[in-house]
Amino acid sequence: MKVTLISIPVRDQEKALKFYTEKLGFLKKKDLPLGGGNRWLTLVSAEWQDGPELLLEPAPLHFEPCKVFQDALMEAGYPYTQFDVKDVQSEYERLRKLDVEFSMKPTEMGTVKVAVLNDTCGNNIQLVEEL
Amino acid sequence: MTFYEEELNRIRSVIYSNEGQINTVIGVRNYIKNNYDVNLNLDVLSHTQFVSKYHLLRLFKKYHGLTPRQYLIDKRIEKSKEHLINGMSVTETCYAVGFESLGSFSALFKTKTGKSPTKYQKEQLSRSETA
Repeated sequence: MKVTLISIPVRDQEKALKFYTEKLGFLKKKDLPLGGGNRWLTLVSAEWQDGPELLLEPAPLHFEPCKVFQDALMEAGYPYTQFDVKDVQSEYERLRKLDVEFSMKPTEMGTVKVAVLNDTCGNNIQLVEEL
Repeated sequence: MTFYEEELNRIRSVIYSNEGQINTVIGVRNYIKNNYDVNLNLDVLSHTQFVSKYHLLRLFKKYHGLTPRQYLIDKRIEKSKEHLINGMSVTETCYAVGFESLGSFSALFKTKTGKSPTKYQKEQLSRSETA
């Protein structure tokens, strides 16, 4: 077995595609129509293009418990998932200039530094740097 | 402050309260990052931080979840991928990242990535030609 894909629930796939590619810098990999306006939409990291794909999944629109769970995580400030970066502080500054909102500024946590941003599609995302 | 931040603060006070230990682990990790291409062992690493090698092994595993040896191997494989993508030969790559035997490098590379270094390089180079 191999881990090749992780999914993130999003409220609006097109909006999420723009945010994750234009602001976070991911690249679109697959985009297949699934009917009803839904798409199998995956991204990869620009720095690791043969790495796992990130599926932008419209689950909150079709499955109420997913929406409830996502809302609860958002309200508590919990990240849905996390991405590795080389330098959290410089990513924070770069993204702030692009009007990305952070619920937690760069903060040291033992042997890592973390920050939490809002992906505008229903999720908190944590950036993490190995110190 | 979000509930998540409160949780991080709680965990930090429980798990990451010993700054000296954290600095030791970060110091060793950075030493490996900067010296992955030479012959490293626990004796060398423990000497850099003035701690016993058994204490270092325990600390590294406690804070990083891997042994220094496992971390070193991962770092070497990560760097070898960069060299292969940049067109360096498999043999040169093997020695450039600190391995002393081509056979053990190739076997380890295949175990970690699922492909031999030669196959990995061919795939990456053909990918960049078609991009």
